[in-house]
Amino acid sequence: MLEIKNLHAEIENEGREILRGLDLVVKSGEVHAIMGPNGAGKSTLSHVLAGKPGYRVTDGAAMLDGVDILDMDPSLRAANGVFLAFQYPVEIPGVANMTFLKAALNAQRKARGQDEISTPDFMRLVRTEAGKLKITQDMLKRPVNVGFSGGEKKRNEILQMAILQPKLCILDETDSGLDIDALKVVSDGVNALRAPNRSFIVITHYQRLLDHIRPDVVHVLSKGRIVKTGGPELALELEAKGYADYASEEAA
Amino acid sequence: MNLVLAPDRRRTKAEEALEAAFRRIDAELPDLDRETAFARFAAQGLPHRRVEAYHFTDLRSMLASAPEPAARPSLDAARAALGADVFAAVKPARAVFVDGWFVADLSDLAGLGDGVSVATLAATMASDGAVRGLGARVAPGTAAETDPLVSLVSAFFSDGLVLRVADGATMARPLEIRHVSTGVSASAFVRHLVEVGEGASATVLESHESPEGSVVHAHTLVEMTVAAKAKVTWVDRQRESHDGARFSTLAVAIGDHAALDHTVATLGAKIARTQVFATLGAHADLQTRGATLAKGRTHADATLVVEHVGPGATSRELYKSAVDDEATSVFQGRITVQPAAQQTDGRMGAHAVLLSDRAEAKAKPELEIFADDVACAHGATVAEIDETLKFYLMSRGIPADETERLLIHAFLGEVTDAISDEGVRTAIEGEIDGWIDARGNRP
Repeated sequence: MLEIKNLHAEIENEGREILRGLDLVVKSGEVHAIMGPNGAGKSTLSHVLAGKPGYRVTDGAAMLDGVDILDMDPSLRAANGVFLAFQYPVEIPGVANMTFLKAALNAQRKARGQDEISTPDFMRLVRTEAGKLKITQDMLKRPVNVGFSGGEKKRNEILQMAILQPKLCILDETDSGLDIDALKVVSDGVNALRAPNRSFIVITHYQRLLDHIRPDVVHVLSKGRIVKTGGPELALELEAKGYADYASEEAA
Repeated sequence: MNLVLAPDRRRTKAEEALEAAFRRIDAELPDLDRETAFARFAAQGLPHRRVEAYHFTDLRSMLASAPEPAARPSLDAARAALGADVFAAVKPARAVFVDGWFVADLSDLAGLGDGVSVATLAATMASDGAVRGLGARVAPGTAAETDPLVSLVSAFFSDGLVLRVADGATMARPLEIRHVSTGVSASAFVRHLVEVGEGASATVLESHESPEGSVVHAHTLVEMTVAAKAKVTWVDRQRESHDGARFSTLAVAIGDHAALDHTVATLGAKIARTQVFATLGAHADLQTRGATLAKGRTHADATLVVEHVGPGATSRELYKSAVDDEATSVFQGRITVQPAAQQTDGRMGAHAVLLSDRAEAKAKPELEIFADDVACAHGATVAEIDETLKFYLMSRGIPADETERLLIHAFLGEVTDAISDEGVRTAIEGEIDGWIDARGNRP
């Protein structure tokens, strides 16, 4: 599914290298957790994969099903199946959530050579998925994320994921700012999307999220590289011992 | 009578043309005292950047010429000029002006309801002394009175409407005042009078258009009185040729407990200036909003002067512009709170989004407060499309050009969303989306 080879990336205009030769292979259907101290490059990895402006890839490749996505613009990456659940979802005044969801879904379908979804089918899809995530009609009518609580914003991210049905889901500290109840709703939403042809990269500081979303593989990211890989027990070990062994010198 | 420009400086070509045109003016509407209006204009000439109110819109240097006032078009030519009606969906009554001349055969003024009368200025002149001396009389004592564009319309107007809504009457359907052009290079001057009686209500749609490529200088002046407790909704859509000029002025007195809800959308003209001069009585309410879309090498100016005269009145001004290519948008807004206007609640916002590196937006909001118990605020922003929003939308699969479309639409949506009539709102949104789409389709 995803194969990252020797990825080097720096912050544009600063020239500060954040990712320093990162290698990672995520197979179809797997859930990989990426943990690590502040400044290790976790968020940078998610941003670089999604194509956020402000970073420069200086070396390496990120192959999604054999195609390097790093030269694609963000919308094309999305159409190819990449989805980033934002740590801080953006508020978009004036664009209704429903309008946004439909525009996104149809843009992706168009890019893949599929027909637009019919309005009744779309409404049915949204109603079903929104219901699972306890997203109200009001939240669907309101502008994207405007006036949403932290938990509502995260649920809205998962709703987008459920509707867009990506191949590769990257969750960037989705647990931040969530209380226990919201964490459960969000995790249930993610777990419902687990499928043999869909992979997840779950970026988090804390083991807590991984109690709800059980990873197949856990990686420790430090100083821009994967320094340790193991099973779920690695997350528990980190929880017990902290990141002292992997301390990072720089902030990302 | 001073019909010549001040001798101490050289006249511009445009000023010379106006002076010559005034000497030849058709005397179809007598007894108007056009001379006083022209003298008022001539005393200053075309305004320039050292005139505070025209600092950003220097007409002396911008207007290379002033085309002849248009002759009355033939009915065939007028009919041919009439394209699709942007407001057709709301089935309004219609007064049609072509090249500044009323065309009865293309108008439909039936069914406006009891207590609503519409006539042309020309017809009213014959029967009604109230329009006598009109050339010299515009919103006395206000900033409109001495405005040079107002003076020009007052000197040159060919015709206009007189709309009267009696006390307590309600218009049974909206009235659309359509201004179209046959495309001849000419100036058109139209002046409308609107009187909305006590407790009455009125909805007026104004539409201005001229064929692309034509060099039309279109001037309009609307003078309106909204009597106590009356309610008026006014929507103005301007879509002139990108080689032409559009000069619009609304001078309105809003009475005690009366309300005006005003929206203007400007999508064309090489030079556009839209002026609103409003005075507010006690507990009056003014909502005025503007959407300006400027592209190419055009210049679009929205200028407001809002005077709170009576206590307890509310005014909201929201003007937004999307500026592309090498275009410039200008916003000048002044809220004045007179000493008696305690408990005024005024809020003014001007926001521009720049869509190209060479686009420009200038904003000058001002508050002049002479009362001590008021709540007034103003804000102005000029920004590019927010990269963070753009990335968020793109990360969901929406391509860059469609992302910009969505964001521009959303930006101007704050203006159009406030139009209460769905048909009218849809019409204006359609115009705006057409502009945005045309932008995306360019090579």
